[in-house]
Amino acid sequence: MKRLLLGIAASMAISMSAYAETKIAVSMSYFDDNFLTMLRQSMAKSAAEKPDVSIQFEDAQGDIGRQLNQVQNFVAQDVDAIIINATDTAATARMTKLAKKAGIPLVYVNKKPDQELPAGVVYVGSDEVVAGRLQGEQLAKSLNGKGNVAIMLGELSSSGTRGRTQGVKEVLANYPDIKIVEEQTANFQRSEAIDLMNNWIVSGIKIDAIAANNDEMALGALLAMRQAGISPKDIVVGGVDATSDALSSMAAKELAVTVFQNAAAQGEGAVTAALSLAKGEQVDGTVWVPFELVMLENMHQYQ
Amino acid sequence: MNTTTHPAPASVPEERKRFKMPQEGSILLVLVGIAVLFEILGWAVRGDTFLFNAQRLLIIVLQMSIIGLLAIGVTQVIITTGIDLSSGSVLALSAMIAASFAQTSDYARAVFPMFTDMPAVVPILLGVLAGGLAGLVNGALIARTMIPPFIATLGMMVTARGLARWYTDGQPVSLLSDEFTWFGSGYIPVVVFIVVAAIFHIALKYTRYGKFTYAIGANMNAARVSGINVNRHLVIVYSIAGLLSGLAGVLTAARAASGQAGMGMAYELDAIAAAVIGGTSLAGGVGRITGTVIGVIILGVMTSGFTFLGIDAYVQDVVKGAIIVAAVVADQYRQKKRKTA
Repeated sequence: MKRLLLGIAASMAISMSAYAETKIAVSMSYFDDNFLTMLRQSMAKSAAEKPDVSIQFEDAQGDIGRQLNQVQNFVAQDVDAIIINATDTAATARMTKLAKKAGIPLVYVNKKPDQELPAGVVYVGSDEVVAGRLQGEQLAKSLNGKGNVAIMLGELSSSGTRGRTQGVKEVLANYPDIKIVEEQTANFQRSEAIDLMNNWIVSGIKIDAIAANNDEMALGALLAMRQAGISPKDIVVGGVDATSDALSSMAAKELAVTVFQNAAAQGEGAVTAALSLAKGEQVDGTVWVPFELVMLENMHQYQ
Repeated sequence: MNTTTHPAPASVPEERKRFKMPQEGSILLVLVGIAVLFEILGWAVRGDTFLFNAQRLLIIVLQMSIIGLLAIGVTQVIITTGIDLSSGSVLALSAMIAASFAQTSDYARAVFPMFTDMPAVVPILLGVLAGGLAGLVNGALIARTMIPPFIATLGMMVTARGLARWYTDGQPVSLLSDEFTWFGSGYIPVVVFIVVAAIFHIALKYTRYGKFTYAIGANMNAARVSGINVNRHLVIVYSIAGLLSGLAGVLTAARAASGQAGMGMAYELDAIAAAVIGGTSLAGGVGRITGTVIGVIILGVMTSGFTFLGIDAYVQDVVKGAIIVAAVVADQYRQKKRKTA
């Protein structure tokens, strides 16, 4: 009896793999980041929409070592394509080499590796510097080219923090009357941003605009301002991501500007690129998904 | 134990007679030292006062009141020679659970559409109780299976964070009722922190609960032999730590008007650091809430001081780590000197 059951199970396993579905394995840097959750869901959705495609997700929990192990496991499983949302953009070379050596197509999504990617390895994502530029440009307009700007930095080792901050600074450098007076981290977290903003307010430095590296921190700054009785007209606040919380805040005329990073398009692009590579088709080395500026006037498109 | 007839703590009857600086005296001096340093640097860099600003002093406590609640819990756990690594994760789980029952019906994608617009007491109680339950599991595991507290609470740290993520598949829980978010607004977290600190200061110093806690930490076998139900007491101490993590989670969610699975990341380490800075010995048996409160304020002074001085964000943690170690070293040195003198 036992043997019979085993036999059935074994034959089922064989027939399932013989069904020749395309297996995609994904290693995400974090499962609990809001934006990355949207990205993950979009990948799951676009894989589910295609026939005979299965997709599996692993959480690297921000740990490069863990991510490397996951990629090694994917290679050992002999999956048909690997998608990596890199935990550290400076440490992708070994993962690229692993996949390349095993001949498994590889797609990096959302976080752009610092390394020059070899042929057959694709990056799908958006240029963080552009997000910072869009945000900075709009804030400068709201300030009429004059005032003090404070930058709320995200997690300090993240490429989003570096790129977005660089973009904001590039743009603001064109305005001689705009000064960057503060630059501190709140780790992309709303509650930490409340504390940081409280400290800025009490320090008595004149701030006319906040350029936050993400929406969560922008919302934290606005919460602190509301409790201190400061109107969003006196300090203009900008974020990045266009999360649903951010759009609600924008509808209430609090958040002035945010930048939409198209999680759905990135996820779909990554899955499409992975499948094309698995079929042996040619794909461009970099697939850019544009950032989009979101303000009160056009926010209805993003809700 | 016939200690109930003795209102004064039995441990230091002799030393009471001659005047002695309280245990916290030396760490209080460290706090004053750090604050004065920031005051001087403040005038040098900003040309403004750091300390003589009532609002800033409140903010220093406000930003640490959440970690302060965790620190009060972990202080008691450490006194019993235990450790609690799960507090930050339990905070996140409680925040998620509380937030999910505090949503308004305006929100189209509520977690529990049938449980929207609840009175604030429902999410608050559920959040706190969820934390208490996690603490109960910690305590039961440690008391029943005798696994080291480090392992039991490490397991809970991973599991609770996992549950917090799984609860909504990582989605944040937002649009919470005003009644609920009021609980985290203004200086209410400070009030909660001070009340909780006062309760456990009294409990540790003047009640049987406190005596048992110190007795277990000083010598667990002796405590057992003298008739203390050690297992039951450990479960109580870990449950209290869990309840406080739950309360911290509720406050965090109310303050941010959102529940998020990534909340409270690595807070347990700040809480443990505050307790140890405040003179709680990792060897057990020693520690006081007043010391922990001072430890918490030292961390808060650093956070505010760094921002006030505009110290490069990339340098801050380097300095913070060094100051934590230096504060404990200075404290140890002073205590040693006083003993030999």
